Amino acid sequence: MKNRLSLRVYNGTFRYRFPHFAGDTMSTRRRSTDPPGLSRRDFLETTAATVVVAAAAAPAIDGQALAGAPTLVQPDPAVPRSAIRVTLNGTARRLDVEDRWTLAELLRDHLGLTGTKIGCDRGECGACTVLMDGKPVYSCSQLAAWADGCSIETVEGVAKKDGLEALQRAFVAHDGPQCGFCTSGQLMSALALHRVNARPTVEDARAAMVGNLCRCGNYNRYVEATVGHSLSPSRDAAANPRSLGGGGQSASPVATASAALSLLHTVGHPTPKIDGVERVTGQATYTGDVKLPGMLYARVLRSPHAHARIRSIDVSKARAMPGVKAVLTRENCEVVWGAGAIAGGQQYNDDIKRITKQRRYAFNNPVRFVGDPVAAVAAVNRHVAEEALLQILVDYEVLPFVLEPEEALAPNAVKIWPEGNLALNVRNEAQPNVQTRGNVGNGLAAAERTFEDRFTTAFEHNAQMEPRVAVATWEGEKLTVYTPTGGIANCRHDIARDLGLPDDRVRVVCQYMGGNFGNKNQNQDADLIAAMLAKEAGAPVKLELSRKEDFIGMHGRWPTIQYYTVGTTSAGTLQAIQLRAYSGMGPYRKNTGNIGGIDLYQCPNIETVVTPVYTNKTVSGNLRGPEYPQGFYGIQSMMDDVASKLKMDPVEFILKNMTRLARNEVPYTNYTLEECIRRGAEIFEWKKRWRQDPGSGRGPVKRGAGVSFMAFRSELGRSSAVIRLDASGQYTVFVGVTDVGGGAKTTMALIAAEALGVPLSQVTVVWGDTDRCPYSVGESGSRTTIMTGDAVIEAARDLRKQIAEKGPPKGAEMLVASATPTPRVEGKVRSAFGAHFVEVEVDVELGRARVVKYVAVHDSGRIINPLAAASQIKGGAAMGIGMALHEDLRYDRQTGRPLTTGFYYDRIPTHRDVPDIEVVFIESDDGLGPYGAKSVGESGKALSPAAIANAVSNAIGRRMKDLPITRDRILGALA
Amino acid sequence: MKTFTNVNARDLRQAVARSADARQSGQAASFAGGGSDLLALMKERIVRPDVIVSLKPIKGLDQLTPGGGGITIGGLITLDALSRDARIHRQYAVLAEAAASVATPQIRNVGTLAGNLCQRPWCWYYRNGFPCLKAGGSQCFSVSGENQFHAIFGGGPSYIVHPSDTAPALVALDATFRIVGPSGEREVPAADFFVLPRQNAAAENVLANDELLASVHVPTAAGGMRSMYEKVLDREAWTHAVVSAAVVLRMDGQTCRDARVVLGGVAPIPWRLPEVERLLTGQRITEEVAARAGELAVAGARPLAKNGYKVPLTNALVRRTVLELARRA
Ligand SMILES: Cc1cc2nc3c(=O)[nH]c(=O)nc-3n(C[C@H](O)[C@H](O)[C@H](O)COP(=O)(O)OP(=O)(O)OC[C@H]3O[C@@H](n4cnc5c(N)ncnc54)[C@H](O)[C@@H]3O)c2cc1C
Ligand code: SF4
Ligand code: FES
Ligand code: FES
Repeated sequence: MKNRLSLRVYNGTFRYRFPHFAGDTMSTRRRSTDPPGLSRRDFLETTAATVVVAAAAAPAIDGQALAGAPTLVQPDPAVPRSAIRVTLNGTARRLDVEDRWTLAELLRDHLGLTGTKIGCDRGECGACTVLMDGKPVYSCSQLAAWADGCSIETVEGVAKKDGLEALQRAFVAHDGPQCGFCTSGQLMSALALHRVNARPTVEDARAAMVGNLCRCGNYNRYVEATVGHSLSPSRDAAANPRSLGGGGQSASPVATASAALSLLHTVGHPTPKIDGVERVTGQATYTGDVKLPGMLYARVLRSPHAHARIRSIDVSKARAMPGVKAVLTRENCEVVWGAGAIAGGQQYNDDIKRITKQRRYAFNNPVRFVGDPVAAVAAVNRHVAEEALLQILVDYEVLPFVLEPEEALAPNAVKIWPEGNLALNVRNEAQPNVQTRGNVGNGLAAAERTFEDRFTTAFEHNAQMEPRVAVATWEGEKLTVYTPTGGIANCRHDIARDLGLPDDRVRVVCQYMGGNFGNKNQNQDADLIAAMLAKEAGAPVKLELSRKEDFIGMHGRWPTIQYYTVGTTSAGTLQAIQLRAYSGMGPYRKNTGNIGGIDLYQCPNIETVVTPVYTNKTVSGNLRGPEYPQGFYGIQSMMDDVASKLKMDPVEFILKNMTRLARNEVPYTNYTLEECIRRGAEIFEWKKRWRQDPGSGRGPVKRGAGVSFMAFRSELGRSSAVIRLDASGQYTVFVGVTDVGGGAKTTMALIAAEALGVPLSQVTVVWGDTDRCPYSVGESGSRTTIMTGDAVIEAARDLRKQIAEKGPPKGAEMLVASATPTPRVEGKVRSAFGAHFVEVEVDVELGRARVVKYVAVHDSGRIINPLAAASQIKGGAAMGIGMALHEDLRYDRQTGRPLTTGFYYDRIPTHRDVPDIEVVFIESDDGLGPYGAKSVGESGKALSPAAIANAVSNAIGRRMKDLPITRDRILGALA
Repeated sequence: MKTFTNVNARDLRQAVARSADARQSGQAASFAGGGSDLLALMKERIVRPDVIVSLKPIKGLDQLTPGGGGITIGGLITLDALSRDARIHRQYAVLAEAAASVATPQIRNVGTLAGNLCQRPWCWYYRNGFPCLKAGGSQCFSVSGENQFHAIFGGGPSYIVHPSDTAPALVALDATFRIVGPSGEREVPAADFFVLPRQNAAAENVLANDELLASVHVPTAAGGMRSMYEKVLDREAWTHAVVSAAVVLRMDGQTCRDARVVLGGVAPIPWRLPEVERLLTGQRITEEVAARAGELAVAGARPLAKNGYKVPLTNALVRRTVLELARRA
């Protein structure tokens, strides 16, 4: 593995080993057949446009103009400037900078060094880390003018002429980058460490990188890359057939429990990302890195009130400011953001748009939460745009507001919509989500034991590292939007519908994306606002959201209040489960507000009534396993407590009551849940770590163990793929994935190579551009691998048939195959399974809770890429630690304004908060999906909060009924 | 950020003069040490200087200079350099540990000691742009709002907790701060540098306009002196202190001859506990004594609606820190 990688690198042409990178050399190739739906002209135009982006992003000045400090932008005499000398990546430079530029701004906007990212612009995330005189610093928190006399090193300067730095190779080999947005920063911190300490310990590595957040939660991998070995023991190495297959000596601590699967050639071998090099060299182009000629910068003015009617907006002063090119308000922009509301959990469509009573506009009046957009400005630079916002005068009539779901349902509560605060569904009905089976009333009446309790969960923000951004440009009547989306096809369709354009007049491009985590398989208001500003201004527009805007203006997991009643026999067999719950949706219903988890249990009588409620808080939406982490926490805490009251070991309780038939009736395509639980308990040493007597143990530092389990949908479905073979023997796979961090590109390449029977190096992937790629379901619902993977296999099959019939292409010939399969499972339910085991340490005097041991066992079918799949589980578990212990968008009740905006106040987990997460895959093949693959992405997250909460309860002997389990709650429970 | 001019100061006198000049011509001026805190406040438009006087180019103010019965620490020393210095480690462990506990390597690499001591409050109302007392308004939002991280001692009319980790350490070390201003220099004991909101609700210290903190003098450690800094964070790294304890003990065998116990994270200033210090002085530090110290530490606590948990937390932290330090060989 390592060898193969270093070979690639020592070729010295690492940029060109991956020709699918922006600026693909495709225009020089000729082809006989174009993929269906794509004309040859499209290919050429597309390629040309990509080149423009690349060229524009190149350094605006060069180092030779040393005679006088070169001017980077047209100087504005009103803006103070300074001449500075810096040594930038080894080259002495004299630069003339505006005093107000941060160092990050200089590097990214004016020197084209966009490998340095901006995740927060406040010293709270580390994405902007560069070395200043050899030491890591946040370039967002330094003025460019202060760098005078300093040496600056950025990610672009790390690789040497003869290839990658050893650390960069290790970052690729250990799967450091998931989305890659934090990678440059992690790398710079690790590099500084390596220069003073060539053999760092795990603790050294964590200490050095602790100032670099990773929302993908890939901390284990970054540490492994920095120390040079994996953290977890490699289990079952001998029993793992893969260890014979060349990929076995992997960086991945992945264990495979079943040796029964047939060995495949490429699929199933731990494989670093095919675009890993781009991601560790700063070459990967994220939306914020796109710079088009003549591009304007846009900013949004947002409501400071939780609820208010706008009496008037005066934009005359802003419009008159020099440099302001466009101003939008509700008065000149009546665009409806369809996907922003009332979809009721369904993909937004024309029918919904036609009938809905509760439209969400790009700019709303009344405004219904702090952060609701009121106006937007595009100007020659972001400073002017920001100043212009301050010149917009808005006359608000402030209205009463309501923040909590149960209060919002009170008869005298202020109505956020004329129809009331019970959220409407797609049919305009104000109805809760109801699910019933059997008769709960009878079941509870007949039960020998009944239990009742209440659990709550908080608003958890996506907090992906890349702040929301969109770049829009019109060429004639054709709109191109660069935007971080997990689903280019749906995003394009949504933009087209909202703007009244045919689909083919909209192009959506997402080459790299700094984290998804949900609610990104559609368009965003930023896409629409950027497009409308660009139209108004007649120039390309980049709309950037600040980190704070991203927190208040976007979305996160709906907060819930869950009331359970459970009936059992005296031997602990479930008889009835009742759930009444409320979900806070914010003022627009983007998604269902559902609460999942009841179906994990085999129970004859169930009834769930989940009421989605409007509030004047930030809008809720799907976040990684939309209804599961909060639902699993609620029900599995409830059941853990029931077990403990029945004096049963929770693992025994689960084995007794867990689902064996889906919804009590439908068989699973295959079933390994019991194996996941038994195996996890064994590896984790459950009997040893779980305390029969919760809260026991001497001294203030207590330990406890918790378990959670799951069955998680792994449906099949429609998606498309196109594969082209040219005369050189190179296969190009066109798929509409964007690779949000899960490694979809690599997954597709592995599947294609396997299905085609060729080595991975013969496969190139083209992705993330609606003008070049066919439909993909989009990266949500953990289904890309399964659905698009199936399409790739089918296209490969067709192509092999063509090759067999026509022979390989010669000269300018090409062979192209496309497929849009719509596989289905009849009469069975396809599900992934898993169980998490967590040990925590709680200092009951200081209220400190820490996860100290973590074992995650998953059956996700056959694992296409064990390296990336384990990273996904690790990342999900890491994110769950934040949800379990810290994250909560808290509001000031007096003003309805949020307080915990940003990474600092929201307490996103750091390197130090995430222990080694041991991932064990039990692989199975139900004969469905690509080579038997099932879903991975969301499942790690779904399980962790429940297991952590149960572990804390086991440690301290008090049931923790509210997430997050903060210090004040721990100390409060013990007081 | 609002447009501003960056001025590079060559020396302290010039820095003060440039600040005073700006102010006299009706402009707002701010000093920047590492600038890490200042820039964040400017980006939120919470402070809006027309002129930034950067202290970075001032030479020699990042040094440790022995003399005067102790050691003088230049205000521009970075927290990283301070936390790594062998002399500081040996003699003033509490200060090295406090500096090392600040935020992240990236912040410690630019953050200066003076900037750390003069950083503005991290109350989430203030940092989110609420027009409160600290922002020139007339109201405190935290007192009847979300006050989980606010003061349990010395609060009112603002209830911030002083955010600096190095501040309690320096108070515990009986340090003296040297202030340079338009009318010359003055020295104040560390404990008198910080002011309660009831003295001045808008500021956290005694610095007047155009005055800056130049250096800090720490007296020579007496024989038998040992010290430590314990900090409780709100995740495992990168937050300010929920509660912290800077403890300095002068031990004579098993007996404590002199003590300083100063808390962070609980009051608008570093919160010294004279009664606890008196209790410890002359005693053998047993578990019982330490427990009494913990109880006494919180005797005067006046928690708000949502920060009551800080009382048992502070109690335990004081008890454990005192005991651990006394038991160290
Ligand atoms: C996410 C985050 C977490 C943090 N966590 C901690 C923490 O745990 N503990 C902690 O102590 N700090 C913490 N900090 C604050 C950090 O320590 C400060 O940002 C840093 O120490 C300030 O140093 P500086 O030199 O960059 O200050 P600057 O930004 O230069 O200055 C800060 C303030 O002091 C003024 N000032 C600067 N120098 C002088 C001077 N010589 N005389 C008078 N006034 C001056 C400035 O005008 C400004 O108002 C955190 C900051 C962030 C962003
Ligand atoms: S505690 Fe101080 S900073 Fe916070 S709201 Fe009150 S006055 Fe403002
Ligand atoms: S962008 Fe600089 S620390 Fe987040
Ligand atoms: S890889 Fe770290 S944030 Fe995505």
